[in-house]
Amino acid sequence: MPLFGKSTKGPAEVVKALKEAVNSLEKGDKKAEKAQEDVSKNLVLIKNMLYGTSDAEPQADIIVAQLAQELYNSNLLLLLIQNLNRIDFEGKKDVAQVFNNILRRQIGTRSPTVEYICTKPEILFTLMTGYEHQEIALNCGTMLRECARYEALAKIMLYSDDFYNFFRYVEVSTFDIASDAFSTFKELLTRHKVLCADFLETNYDKVFSHYQRLLNSENYVTRRQSLKLLGELLLDRHNFTVMTRYISNPENLKLMMNMLKERSRNIQFEAFHVFKVFVANPNKPKPILDILLRNQEKLVDFLMRFHTDRAEDEQFNDEKAYLIRQIKELKPIQGH
Amino acid sequence: MMDSNMCQASKSFDSETAEADGSYEEDHEQEIANAEFGEADELKPVDSGANSQLWITRNSSHADFEDDLENINISNFFHRVDSDQIIYQSKKRRLKLVGKYVMGDLLGEGSYGKVKEMLDSETLCRRAVKILKQRKLRRIPNGEQNVQREIKLLRKLNHQNVIKLFDELHNYEKQKMYLIMEFCVGSLQTMLDSTPDKKFPQWQAHGYFLQLIEGLEYLHSMRIIHKDIKPGNLLLSLENQLKISDLGVAETIDLFAKDDTCFIGQGSPAFQPPEIANGLEFFPGFKVDIWSSGVTLYNITTGQYPFEGDNIYRLFESIGKGEFTIPSEIQEPLRGLLIGMLEKDPYSRFSLQQIKRHSWCTRQPPSEGLPKVPVPPLRGDVWHSLTVLPYLIDHYYDEPLEDMNSEDDGSRHEYITERQLNEMDERRKQRDQTFVVAENSNGNAQSSSSSSKKSSRWKKTISCMSFRTIPGCKQS
Repeated sequence: MPLFGKSTKGPAEVVKALKEAVNSLEKGDKKAEKAQEDVSKNLVLIKNMLYGTSDAEPQADIIVAQLAQELYNSNLLLLLIQNLNRIDFEGKKDVAQVFNNILRRQIGTRSPTVEYICTKPEILFTLMTGYEHQEIALNCGTMLRECARYEALAKIMLYSDDFYNFFRYVEVSTFDIASDAFSTFKELLTRHKVLCADFLETNYDKVFSHYQRLLNSENYVTRRQSLKLLGELLLDRHNFTVMTRYISNPENLKLMMNMLKERSRNIQFEAFHVFKVFVANPNKPKPILDILLRNQEKLVDFLMRFHTDRAEDEQFNDEKAYLIRQIKELKPIQGH
Repeated sequence: MMDSNMCQASKSFDSETAEADGSYEEDHEQEIANAEFGEADELKPVDSGANSQLWITRNSSHADFEDDLENINISNFFHRVDSDQIIYQSKKRRLKLVGKYVMGDLLGEGSYGKVKEMLDSETLCRRAVKILKQRKLRRIPNGEQNVQREIKLLRKLNHQNVIKLFDELHNYEKQKMYLIMEFCVGSLQTMLDSTPDKKFPQWQAHGYFLQLIEGLEYLHSMRIIHKDIKPGNLLLSLENQLKISDLGVAETIDLFAKDDTCFIGQGSPAFQPPEIANGLEFFPGFKVDIWSSGVTLYNITTGQYPFEGDNIYRLFESIGKGEFTIPSEIQEPLRGLLIGMLEKDPYSRFSLQQIKRHSWCTRQPPSEGLPKVPVPPLRGDVWHSLTVLPYLIDHYYDEPLEDMNSEDDGSRHEYITERQLNEMDERRKQRDQTFVVAENSNGNAQSSSSSSKKSSRWKKTISCMSFRTIPGCKQS
């Protein structure tokens, strides 16, 4: 029993108090300062119920279950996320911790919070727009990545229109936010292999037209990261169909050939790994073959001098030698 | 007294021992002190790439390298030394560097060679080194190709559940290759072997199995079929993270292959699927790993194998039929998962996706109070402490910290004659009779302060040195 103040409040009271405090914080009336304090205090109480403190164990399962139920019923999770920018610095972190803990909760094989969020996808969409507000972007990022671990939630995010905002978020000028957004973006596109492959196949045109913009970005980091991710996506066995489609488009080949000549050696190197797929393809469509043939000599010449200082990288040199041979041996399709 | 003796003994041999001095290593056959062929041991970090293939291919084409003897200059070999001049070299905890890595103790031994602990002297990360001797490798069918393939694969892999290869060093004189890998404390097999009924409680098996599936999904996404999944190839890091290892027989599917058809079955017989046991001409490759993961799961949860046979023919006959029973103590949902993974027809066998969604996987089984099976201790050390540390202490804190109680004492004296050896043996026997040595058996892990106290105490009572093991020093 604590020495001062009331004895411990039950989950229902804490949730109710927190909800009232957030509501009055939202209104922004005179009592705002008091509300701010109440929000912080109640958030700490909830956090301690879930995680325990240095001298108290986390609450028993039954209490946590009650707490979770109150959170669902009161719609507090959404409310907290909507007002995240009004909550103080420590409070923002507490919200993320509480959210992630509640999300991971399991009853048998069920994840009740995941099921709850499936019925309230606004939570996910609000989190995603969090990247537009500098002061809450990183908190939203940690919550989003926790959500992305669950296939059902990742699916909602991938198939929403808001997903395409990520192509903007990963390019924002604040480096830490852009990086955070990129790691969430990557997580969504790679975590659940089968889901991601289906998504890329059904939305191929839309996704890759957006993706093209990243590859052409003014921002060096964006260009380099997105090129690297593209290589990983195309070479993943699950995305076989996507790869075959990507390497049949001559525009993509042109882009990669230009990137091979970029000033940055890192970008050149990443471009090489995508470029090689075009050349290695045993069934090159005519437009692709035409481009390669038109540049046959120049390409061989270029590759001969390409990153010659990577002498110790056996794999790279093997691949390079293979590409040079392939390009040298290219012949126009018979009968054309 | 002893010291000055030692100096003389070794001085008179200076000329002959100079080269051997550098090349000393306890497991080596060439410790003959006066032989000329021991080269300095300093291993230059060879720019691995191109050369790595060199030593393997170069020498396999020259098959005349069959025996070490051919390497030895005959006139040196029969050099005569008077018997009183024969010296022994004491087993010594001497700091040994291979490239930038400090050598530690033996962790295990495989058919390819030894595995030792190492410490990266630049990053201070613990590593394990697989020491491959070309001589041994050549005796194993496809040994060299398998190693080359494994290196090539490991270099491009990066996943928390697949063993990482950090570096590759070569010693051309000794025909050795050093593969610097992630440090692991043991395999699931060694853990199983340490238990009476050779199985894990379900909740523990569950944790390993999920990591196996994660690692396998990554390998498959990189178009790699492992083909040899079994408890012996699943290692554990210090943090209890599972690492899929040994990609010696793994196969990579072509980037443009329409499907995962493969033609060759390799790997351990008891873990092979019916399509391989029945000798089918081709079969879907990824499902091979599903099957052997199924046998692995069966094995680590029941302590038994689903298919058995006195010999490989009987075994394959039994696998080929695809009929097996699951012990009655295994209840749903695990039962259903095993049946799905050990489905005879590879096309209707579970996929990784189905496994991941299976209710046994999505739910952490209750612990039911069953204790966790620990990783067995390494030479009595349950904590698997850094074995490189004693070498470093010996090297940098020579005299005062020398631990008279450990088996490696007397390590400062490098060469001794047979007479001295006998004397010391004698004295050690006396000492053992007079003192009941009730000291901490774990001498290596002793803190430096306590060992220094002990050593001074010992020095007062008996002014002698002792050692137990003498390495294979040959008389020439």
